[in-house]
Amino acid sequence: MSQSDPSSTPSADSKIRGGQFRKKGFTVFGLDLQDFIRFFFSGNASLAIVILVLICVFLAREALLFFPDHHQGLKAYRKSGQEFVDFVGDEVNDFTILYSNANVAYYAELNQTSLEQDNLLAAYRAVQSLVKNETSRVRDRLEDHLDDLEDVVDDLEEAEEDLAKLDPAVDGEKIAELKKEISELNAEKQQLEPVIAELRPELRKASETILNNSLTWKFDDASLKLSEEQREKFREAVLRDEPDAQGDHPYVAELKKISAGKKAAAAEQLVDFKATVTALRDAAKPLKSLHSKLKRVASEAKRESEKFDTAPGRRAALLEGAAKTSDPEEKARKIKMAEAVMIKEPDFATLTQPLYAAIPEHKAIAEKMRTEVAALVKQLPEKASTQGARERLKHARKAERTFDSTVSASLKKMDKWNHDKRYSVIGSVTAFIFGKDWVTNSSWHDFYGLLPLFTGSLMISIIALVVAVPFAVSAAIYVNQLAPVHEQNLVKPAIEFIEAIPSVVLGFFGIFVLGTMLRNVSQVEWLSWVPGFPMSERLTILNAGLLLAFMAVPTIFTLAEDALNNVPGAFSENSLALGASKLQTVLQVVFPTAMSGIIAAALLGFGRIIGETMVVLLVAGNKIKIPDFSEGLGVIAQPAHTMTGIIAQELGEVDNGSLHWRALFMVGMVLFFISLAVNYGAQKILIRFQKV
Amino acid sequence: MSSSKVLMPTEENISPPAPESSAVTSSHESSQEETEKVIKVNDLNFAYDGKKDVLRDISLEIQGGEVTAFIGPSGCGKSTLLRCFNRMNDLIPTASITKGSIEILGTDIYDQYVDEIELRKHVGMVFQKYNPFPKSIYENVAYGLRIQGIKDKATLDQSVEESLIGAGLWEEVKDRLDASGLGLSGGQQQRLCIARTIAVQPKIILMDEPCSALDPISTATVEDLITQLKSKFTIVIVTHNMQQATRVSDKTAFFYLGELIEYDSTTRLFGSPAVKQTEDYISGRFG
Ligand SMILES: Nc1ncnc2c1ncn2[C@@H]1O[C@H](COP(=O)(O)OP(=O)(O)O)[C@@H](O)[C@H]1O
Ligand SMILES: [Mg+2]
Repeated sequence: MSQSDPSSTPSADSKIRGGQFRKKGFTVFGLDLQDFIRFFFSGNASLAIVILVLICVFLAREALLFFPDHHQGLKAYRKSGQEFVDFVGDEVNDFTILYSNANVAYYAELNQTSLEQDNLLAAYRAVQSLVKNETSRVRDRLEDHLDDLEDVVDDLEEAEEDLAKLDPAVDGEKIAELKKEISELNAEKQQLEPVIAELRPELRKASETILNNSLTWKFDDASLKLSEEQREKFREAVLRDEPDAQGDHPYVAELKKISAGKKAAAAEQLVDFKATVTALRDAAKPLKSLHSKLKRVASEAKRESEKFDTAPGRRAALLEGAAKTSDPEEKARKIKMAEAVMIKEPDFATLTQPLYAAIPEHKAIAEKMRTEVAALVKQLPEKASTQGARERLKHARKAERTFDSTVSASLKKMDKWNHDKRYSVIGSVTAFIFGKDWVTNSSWHDFYGLLPLFTGSLMISIIALVVAVPFAVSAAIYVNQLAPVHEQNLVKPAIEFIEAIPSVVLGFFGIFVLGTMLRNVSQVEWLSWVPGFPMSERLTILNAGLLLAFMAVPTIFTLAEDALNNVPGAFSENSLALGASKLQTVLQVVFPTAMSGIIAAALLGFGRIIGETMVVLLVAGNKIKIPDFSEGLGVIAQPAHTMTGIIAQELGEVDNGSLHWRALFMVGMVLFFISLAVNYGAQKILIRFQKV
Repeated sequence: MSSSKVLMPTEENISPPAPESSAVTSSHESSQEETEKVIKVNDLNFAYDGKKDVLRDISLEIQGGEVTAFIGPSGCGKSTLLRCFNRMNDLIPTASITKGSIEILGTDIYDQYVDEIELRKHVGMVFQKYNPFPKSIYENVAYGLRIQGIKDKATLDQSVEESLIGAGLWEEVKDRLDASGLGLSGGQQQRLCIARTIAVQPKIILMDEPCSALDPISTATVEDLITQLKSKFTIVIVTHNMQQATRVSDKTAFFYLGELIEYDSTTRLFGSPAVKQTEDYISGRFG
């Protein structure tokens, strides 16, 4: 096939391609076995890359389509006036925070005077319900029998009454019947009574057994020292508490009376406080009713807008249906319906007209309210007798300032607001990235704001890192530098084994063991100085952070160990020869030299943590809200939701291609980029490290 | 070669067994004439694995204020012996001396009560491969003092300057003390390592082929330095280079297969070696 020039290639061999150097053995188009083996391996490698690229492209396409849809949604949000109404909504929300703080403060103060009695009563109820639960078998039987007996006695009385009414001369037959019934009932009564008489002591005995168990009184620790006398009275009260007991035990009744009395007295003392709180609530009434009125207007506009958006689709569906039916009558009906579908854009100017009209009204209401509220908040008591109330009052005062600035902002925004103003595409991007709300399936408007999820993920990761890095790096230093060989061989695989624990198992552990433990520890009195303690929740940022720290330890440990291993042994040797101890050598020469490798290890650990899903889904508490940082470090005792968690939780329930679906993809993209950045950073640092 | 078992000592280095020296004695207590012999090796055997001795029956005394060179073919145990002097061999868990003892400044350094960290402050070491820490020049020199807990800036400054002057590096680096030690040339790095060692003010400096990684010019500089340092320190240097041994050392010890073959003043050892093996080695017939 090749052109051969006989003059330059005299040999006969040269007629074949490759001439005398031709590849030996089996060839196809000049490719031999070697080449094919090479193709096989390179093919496998490139397949992996192709799949990776496909995944990226798919992810990116689905995620990026989010923005046009999101933009559409935000445009409707503005057109329909919902945006406007939420200006008022913001004011209402801020006010609600203020009000509920004041309200809670009031009740904290009110209940404070009778705290002793209320605590005693609560303790009594705890014991009572425990005993009731534990003795429920006997108690239920006794109760049933008592009910039966009551019925029998009622029936008996009724029958006797009837009997008395009857005239023996006329109703002889009936009298006989009644008499028979009475004797039967009596027999039944006689049967029941001994059973009941037997059950009563049985119940008493069972209750006594429970009461003798010290665990029953376990609440009675440092916080509430019951005297021997009080304990005895509780005992009596509980034992007396048979199913047919009437009223309370005198001691309990006394407690209740004292409590009620003290509350009444306190209420009298706090009458001004109460009046202020009530006045606060009343001051908000006009704003609230205006808000609901405007909400109705905007909802109506939103419905129209949705109708218009879906009209072409509905119309097409009807026409398609018409084409499919053979029944001409049905066909005509469907076509008529299709024609009736409105395709005209609703007139938003008219629909939102009432909103514009409400601006002066709102202004009047809001201005009046803010002065009233400011005055009322000043009237709130300066001092409070309980810590809780003081905190709440502080929060209320702070909320008043927030409320006031929100009102100013809303007033300004409303003046400038126009339903027809363009919504920029950038706006839809920033609304996603900096959005403070993630609200889905709402009857009002769905918000897709990344911030609560992002802060949740970030905080959990930071806690995890802060805990894991010192732990893992110390372990790595020990294993690599200080431990004897046999310990190295033990510790290294043990730490690396953590990686093998399924994260769902760790999640379980987090819920049932760590969560409970953390909460119980946080309740310990002398630890109350720790920020966030005592914790009311089991599932918190802290809990998730600690578990993730545990999961990140093997990653960081292994990489940090590598980094330490890469430090030339000569550095150690030189340092030791200068009279440094092993520990000094490790801390002052080996560790600083390995620093960049260790930083890279921490970064990769961060990548591992921020992408982890199962544990955070189970343990972080899944509350979609930006944590309240006003509590300082105590913020870690709050629950949060995360970027990974939200995808795992919601993706299964949304329609393919819906805005919500795309939003979740977008969250996935953000995660993807964070991981990419973290890995890139780690690589950069490592490369710099290798140059040393 | 068995005939060469005879150790040829000069009149001053016949080592009498010193039974009293096995007790811990501080250098203060030791008598004046003993401080002259700063290192005394008594019939030493050493094994890396606890079984096979790589050093056998070594006995020698090293004079204070002199430069002593260890020569011999590769693998004959020069470095091993050197590393016995500051107990660097302790870093290998199975390694130990199997016989004999080493006294430094009158103290048996393998005594149970000896802290090898304290020992290394008195017996410094310069390695074959120069290896400044990845720190600034200043911090490299100050390192030994810092780990001894010296924080006073003035003391450190002074010591760094003196040490760098002592190592003949001051003029070259005084304007860039904060630059990384790794940015210097090879010869400078080695001199930095020497500065780092002398900053701790040891009595003895051990040098294990300090010039073998250097170019000829740097080698000459370091050799000059060694002859200057002699006035302040007792120096033991391992070298492959016989010219170097003749240039810098006062005494030379020739080792072969883990044994000390001949130990004498450098001029005599190279001029008229007493043992045939020594002669063969220095005339280049083997090694
Ligand atoms: N760390 C070690 N472990 C075991 N054997 C070693 C070790 N270092 C050196 N050796 C052995 O000890 C002997 C002497 O080595 P060395 O003192 O380094 O010789 P030199 O410095 O004279 O070239 C050699 O046979 C060498 O193989
Ligand atoms: Mg050597």
